[in-house]
Amino acid sequence: MPEPQTLLRKGALEGVRVIDFSWIVAGPQCTRILGDFGADVIKIENDANMDYIRASRPVGGSRSPNRSPLFTTLNRNKRSLTLNVMHPRGMELIKDLIKKSDVIVENFSSRVLEKWGLGYEEQKKINPKIIYCSMSGFGHSGRDRDFVTWGPTAQAISGLTYMSGLPGEESAGWGFSYMDHTGGFYGTIAIMMALIHRNKTGKGQHLDLSQVESGIGLTGTAILDYTVNNRPFRRDEMPPGNRAPERGIAPHNTYPCKGEDRWCVIAVTSEDEWGNFVKAVGNPSWTTEERFESMRSRFENQDSLDELIAQWTINHTPHEVFEILQDAGVPAGAVQTPMERAEKDPQLKHRNFIAEIPHEELGKAKVESIPMRMSETPWKLERPSPLLGEHSAEIYTELLDVSPEELGTLYEEGIA
Amino acid sequence: MIEQTFQTPPERTGGALEGITVIELCGARGHFMGKLMGDMGARVIKIEPLGGAMERQIAPFMHDDPHPDRSLFFWAHNTSKESLEINIEAPEGQEVIKKLTATADVLLEDFEPGYLPSIGLSYEDLSYGNERLIMTSLTAFGQDGPYRDYKSTDLVALAMGGIMHSCGYDDLPGSPPIRPSGDHGNKIASHYGLMGTLAALFNRHFSGKGQYIDASVHEACNSTTEHALPTYLYEGENVFRQTGRHHSTTPTPKTLCKTADGRYLIVFQLFNNLNSWLSLVGWMAEAGMAEDLQEEKYKDMARGGSRGMRAATDTTDSDHAFEVVRRFIASQTSEDIYRGAQRLKFPWGQVRSPEENLFDPHFAEDRQMFADIPHPEIGEGVSIKYVGRPYRFTESPWDAFRAPLVGEHTKSILSNDIGYTEEDLNALATNGIISY
Repeated sequence: MPEPQTLLRKGALEGVRVIDFSWIVAGPQCTRILGDFGADVIKIENDANMDYIRASRPVGGSRSPNRSPLFTTLNRNKRSLTLNVMHPRGMELIKDLIKKSDVIVENFSSRVLEKWGLGYEEQKKINPKIIYCSMSGFGHSGRDRDFVTWGPTAQAISGLTYMSGLPGEESAGWGFSYMDHTGGFYGTIAIMMALIHRNKTGKGQHLDLSQVESGIGLTGTAILDYTVNNRPFRRDEMPPGNRAPERGIAPHNTYPCKGEDRWCVIAVTSEDEWGNFVKAVGNPSWTTEERFESMRSRFENQDSLDELIAQWTINHTPHEVFEILQDAGVPAGAVQTPMERAEKDPQLKHRNFIAEIPHEELGKAKVESIPMRMSETPWKLERPSPLLGEHSAEIYTELLDVSPEELGTLYEEGIA
Repeated sequence: MIEQTFQTPPERTGGALEGITVIELCGARGHFMGKLMGDMGARVIKIEPLGGAMERQIAPFMHDDPHPDRSLFFWAHNTSKESLEINIEAPEGQEVIKKLTATADVLLEDFEPGYLPSIGLSYEDLSYGNERLIMTSLTAFGQDGPYRDYKSTDLVALAMGGIMHSCGYDDLPGSPPIRPSGDHGNKIASHYGLMGTLAALFNRHFSGKGQYIDASVHEACNSTTEHALPTYLYEGENVFRQTGRHHSTTPTPKTLCKTADGRYLIVFQLFNNLNSWLSLVGWMAEAGMAEDLQEEKYKDMARGGSRGMRAATDTTDSDHAFEVVRRFIASQTSEDIYRGAQRLKFPWGQVRSPEENLFDPHFAEDRQMFADIPHPEIGEGVSIKYVGRPYRFTESPWDAFRAPLVGEHTKSILSNDIGYTEEDLNALATNGIISY
């Protein structure tokens, strides 16, 4: 840990070293944010067991482990160390690294580190102040601890998949591994809370995360509605599609726009906004009908209301609807495509959302920046995602005191 | 009508954020940040306008009785906070905020950009004399830029952030992109706002200085869409939505499988592991439903693992195998398939409604992840079961208490924290600054 200092720190987590055994998405999402905040994240892999997102859609169809777009965005600001923990010398070196580190992160199945002989009890013997964050599907205890999860599994079990869809239809679910992103966030949050706790008490600890449990925590009022009102979320009118029965407001929906499969959203949350909406769409006569005169009556008649609104939106592009309504003070948006977000969105451009940095194999690494600005410890894209083993030599020799001669042996024997 | 009890919040010790005081000026966009901090031991003072926060009007309500102290939406997102009900539009209210932030560690707010500065409560105003203050502003689009003053809601955030583009159906003609319900745009942004705040707290331990954090829901959602942006940035292609599974640039096999009891399972990674495959086919054969899946060619596919599958250009055999497995699944109950397949190391998941986890002994009994939280205002000894901790800390446990009643702690905060006398309080009440 660094000593208190008055100089400007390079990042909020400067001085924190993270041993990162994690792979795929959830763990790397967690350590990516730690790295973005300035921690020294050392990603441990080896040739036989590399993060297999490295093989995900490599640019140019190459077999290189350094060309995956998703890997690139998830692993910037980290260093790569190749090390084989199955080799006794590799294990020694890892133990030495644990002495010199603050945090260990992994998202293997729940018994992997124990099998390596590197469970929390062992880690604690090596470094009593270590913070060990394990991110498994079901947690490290309980009868189902050996169940296997990927993001979609965790979303299904927790209830999140079921909560996304149109009533009476199959689940639409999440179109990506939301719980890999968010499971990662909970890892980052827990680790930083534990670091703050350690600053105060000097104590490390084990953070036992379950991706499914973090998912259940995101299900809003579903559990309380059941325990208080005995009302299950699984019922005829649910899930609510894009409507907002909990708020009793309308219009609140997606509407078709000009173009193939193009959509906008409109959410009128107050009488003032309704007045603005009516003007913005040109005061059509239907807006004065009695069935649309109050929020309550609009909510009750939202099937017909939505049809009438769709007759207006269909003549506009999503971004036209967005601009017309927002300029009138009505919350509205375009369902933006990846192309629009990457190339057109003037707000994202203004905020420099897509950041670039030279990358040895890709030419340029293009990544999503961290979605916040910090006045004292601003985010920096210090380095692109590491090539496999890119930082092995410097870490072995500078941090782990391996001699240049031994380094050669480590490579020859497949330990590094 | 619920009687006001003016409780002192329960004493809690040992939480990771114990000793940290947070002033929260947040609505639906940011209130999750304060909850997550409060549940880990921070003292969170929620500032509410007279009559209580707007989120107290959001359903469902306890026993469907609309009342500001009975909104389950409010309960779910505001545990472990104290409530100070005060008019911050008035100078006396602003004075109170200044006095509280003079000794606070963190201020969380989610007003429109420029609002707090317009009433003399900018970061510069508030950190004057307390340079240790961390202030996190969570807005729809950020503090600057062409969209700065645009209005947003969770629906708008999920549309503009690209999340809805990835969610919905590919086999329901004309169906729209779907907003996953549960306020996830706000939650994604709150998670990021909280991460910035915690990083700043850690940093302050060494630098002695707080800082200002400008966090944007728009950027938070835009950075939470997995393959969508990397695929566009490097391949120039838009992913599209597919029912119940990942977005993609090409159609993929449907993973939702219906079971005999009319439930659904997410089924994928059929050929990821030879042993799992052989056991599955054995199980199907016992039921007389393996059809031709015991043939060598399927074993070869499973031997190739995920890489083998990706290399295959002809998917006829894998599509056929999936159809046979789908027929087997349709003959079994969802519980049997889920547990049976998990024992064979298939990462298949039951599509549950959230409350069904209350009856899963792994979570409810072994992991104790639902928490009974006392609600003395409803009756002596009454507790209500909530979703509990989203993480398990071995040294600094999660510990929550129920959301505050409207203005429950107005008097105790003003007297004990600011030192206002009974007279001061009466004057504030008379002038309509507080209500009690």
